[in-house]
Amino acid sequence: MTISESIQSIDFLTAIRESALVYPVLLTTHLACIAFFGGMILMTDLRLLGLSLKNLTITEVVVGLRPWKRLGGVIMITAGLLLGSSEAVKYAPNPFFWTKMTILALIGIHALIFRPIVYNKTEELDRSPTIPSKAKVAAYLSLALWLGMVCMGRLIAYYEPKQQPAPQATLLK
Amino acid sequence: MLLQNAVADALNNTEWAFPLAECFHIPAFALSIGTIALVDLRLLGVALRRDSTAKLLRDTEPWTLVGLVIVIFSGAILFLSQTQIYLVNSSFYFKMVCLLIAIVYNFTIHRKVAASAASDASPVGAKVVAIVSLLLWLGTVAGGLFIAFV
Repeated sequence: MTISESIQSIDFLTAIRESALVYPVLLTTHLACIAFFGGMILMTDLRLLGLSLKNLTITEVVVGLRPWKRLGGVIMITAGLLLGSSEAVKYAPNPFFWTKMTILALIGIHALIFRPIVYNKTEELDRSPTIPSKAKVAAYLSLALWLGMVCMGRLIAYYEPKQQPAPQATLLK
Repeated sequence: MLLQNAVADALNNTEWAFPLAECFHIPAFALSIGTIALVDLRLLGVALRRDSTAKLLRDTEPWTLVGLVIVIFSGAILFLSQTQIYLVNSSFYFKMVCLLIAIVYNFTIHRKVAASAASDASPVGAKVVAIVSLLLWLGTVAGGLFIAFV
């Protein structure tokens, strides 16, 4: 049994896969998180670019939305983990899935790089007469990464594995 | 020549249109619903309390509109690519009803309440308005997803 087979044969993951309702409900949860909390990521990036929420300081937007984004992230990742692992055999050979996971890792690296110099330094950004370019770079990269994340997530559904060769031999018997 | 043909084939191949439209649809509803949800959370008094709801509405509304225009345009492409599938899908009708009510609600009751909301504590009525808004949009997203499962 391959790793992906053993993962998805765990009892509750099998139950998720085989349930007519649980799988789409988890997907809805995942997608609703994109709607409600993904929008907050967009608005934070647009604030860092100076394009929205200009009545609020960068600090108010970043710090104020942080707990909500964390909550959304936890729900989104939990639902995503359950979705992915319950269909591990389908996901394992899917290049879009692995591209998505790579982007997820890049988002982690983005946080490691920009948290200490942008997201945890918002008061410094607010004092600056113009928004420093490091903040704009962080915002543009965040926008690109999250858009890539969403697109790859959607494209996972469109991958069709190559057919196994030569079932003909048995047909000829 | 061959390369040119390959590019033309790729562009002509309508199999690309559907996933591409979806890649516009999802970020656009994140923008539109996300900005509306911000106003709702503000109405509920649980986020961005330093600013008044009215100001937040004024700030976010252009982005809500941008998102809505893209989401409706890409949604129309998705629909037109296979009308016969959508027109017999009960979840599609559920989604359209939710969407229609959500949009009308957003630009009437929701906007009126948000624009006139007091700067500090929101009254119970405003909170109900916010929760109804969140539920309508949740219904729209859920209805859209269930199109693939009914």
